[in-house]
Amino acid sequence: MKRPALPRAGTVRRIAAALTLLLPAAAGHADDRWETEVIRVPRGEWTGPRLPDGQPDVQGFWSNTIGNHDNFTDPQGGIPGDVARAGGGGARDIGTVQPREKRAPSRVSDPPDGQVPFQPWARAKQEELLANFFHPTKEEHIEPLARCAPAGPTKSLMWHGYEIRQYPGYVLFLFDSGTRIIHLDGKPHLPASIKLWNADSRGRWEGNTLIVDVRNNNAKARLGRTGEFTSDNVHIEERYIFANDGQRYTYEAVYTDPTVLTRPFTVTIPAKRITVDSPRDGWHNQTFLANHPRPEPILETYERVCVEHNAGHGELAVAGGPP
Amino acid sequence: MSFLVATIAAAGRHTASAPLARRPAAAAAWLLLAAPAFGAGAEAPAADIPRTADGKPDFSGIWESMSGADYDLEPHAGREDAPPGRGVVHGDFIPYQPWALEQRRKNFEARATADRTRLQCLTLGVPRSVYYPAPLQIFQRPRDLTIVNPFGAVRTIHTNGTSHPEGPFGFWLGDSRGHWEGDTLVVDVVDFNDETWLDRAGNFHSDALHVVERWTLLDANTIRYEATLEDSKVYTRPWTLSVILYRHREENFQLIENYCYTHAYDEHYPFEGADRLPPAESDVAREREVNEP
Repeated sequence: MKRPALPRAGTVRRIAAALTLLLPAAAGHADDRWETEVIRVPRGEWTGPRLPDGQPDVQGFWSNTIGNHDNFTDPQGGIPGDVARAGGGGARDIGTVQPREKRAPSRVSDPPDGQVPFQPWARAKQEELLANFFHPTKEEHIEPLARCAPAGPTKSLMWHGYEIRQYPGYVLFLFDSGTRIIHLDGKPHLPASIKLWNADSRGRWEGNTLIVDVRNNNAKARLGRTGEFTSDNVHIEERYIFANDGQRYTYEAVYTDPTVLTRPFTVTIPAKRITVDSPRDGWHNQTFLANHPRPEPILETYERVCVEHNAGHGELAVAGGPP
Repeated sequence: MSFLVATIAAAGRHTASAPLARRPAAAAAWLLLAAPAFGAGAEAPAADIPRTADGKPDFSGIWESMSGADYDLEPHAGREDAPPGRGVVHGDFIPYQPWALEQRRKNFEARATADRTRLQCLTLGVPRSVYYPAPLQIFQRPRDLTIVNPFGAVRTIHTNGTSHPEGPFGFWLGDSRGHWEGDTLVVDVVDFNDETWLDRAGNFHSDALHVVERWTLLDANTIRYEATLEDSKVYTRPWTLSVILYRHREENFQLIENYCYTHAYDEHYPFEGADRLPPAESDVAREREVNEP
């Protein structure tokens, strides 16, 4: 099969990745990609469609509504210290143009102050990681997602749109960077000595809520570019609470980690469904219309391969690179 | 024997629309007859195989090839970096164009470092990701099959009547569109980049690669996988390889993520010295539970 010549795929992917990362800046001041209100779906019964195995059918494309992973506790506040971009019109500048009360609240919904209840040494470490974000002097200062590492259980939900597929015994999350296989099959967790980027997930459905017990986390993925982290002792109990109309869900996760925290905290992330009518912004909506002769539109995605892994992307995290 | 083969082949076609799984006695009889009669390249009749609600063969599960194909697709004696292997290419040798045979020789010489996608745990491509010696998991819905591959790359085989998108995109895994021919899933895969090898011995393709795969369940725990590779820039004619995939049935076996491209920088996260933090009591207790039943 004769096909036209194309640039080396690595080059294509590198350009595509850079463009994707640049998108927040391109969106400008009126960044209508984000909502400032956190819409919470209440827990309750599921009256929507079900799959043959009885699971609520929540398959399809989703994305969070309040911000990317720039800032964990101030989702539309940008990365503190982002002097290079002040006034540049990007998402990071929302912090400079909108007062705090007009931005989305912290993703930390408990404790009430919206901050991660770090032990003093851990707070100091987080502040050090943040202070060196733009000018890394140590390997650990480079945010690992910038190296194509999986984003981890929670941050994956703040990084581009993603897809949920369901099967008897499983819920599959296909993220922009990494995959989570959530077992509904009742099998036990892996031995505790196995620690993984996306951890080990065991779930069950209660009404409209998927409850997932998350252990075996290697804690290498962070919670944001602001440097919040946990230890690999962390235990996360996640609740994915789906609206019966299938258009929204709320993620609530209780983090317990006595190594790093003084008490557990709760993360809340609102999400909405990506549909055929969603803007094709390349961030929330990374779908394409499938090629077929029938009238109904079918959404699909192409492979997500973050190629450079430990090259190229790492450089993007340093000053002067795109966000 | 030739008469028997012809009879069974005809019966195999016939039963494609009336699955033998619904007639267990007949299935058993065919198995007995089929075992000696079907060699490589022949179409196997459906045995008592798992099926989805819509009656299609159900490939769901965790699978792995024991073929050794990833060491070298062609016949080879044992060498320092590969156990001996009979080879999995029909006709034994890949029909390279002269320049490509020379390129393959160079690749072979440089294989210790040049097999980049394997050594850096990038994406293995198609068909290599199928016979690479690591478990892969298949999830199946009527509209598609999802394969979670070694190193974490995810491949979707669309079975919803859609066609390849207008490319080229230069995908690592190509674009896969499947349809059913009886109980065989036939997948057309196009739009590749040229960065992946087919094995550790330097066998390769270009971005003109076109793969046609045939996936057939021989029984509940065995898949016969066949791939025909066409590449006008590299081969003189299409050629075919086939391997067997076996189902993992070990107790509590599961796919464990292996993003091994992160090993190069793993130690720096979450930060230097984090490995000296105290383990959680719950972890210690769970470890004890596992180790001291």
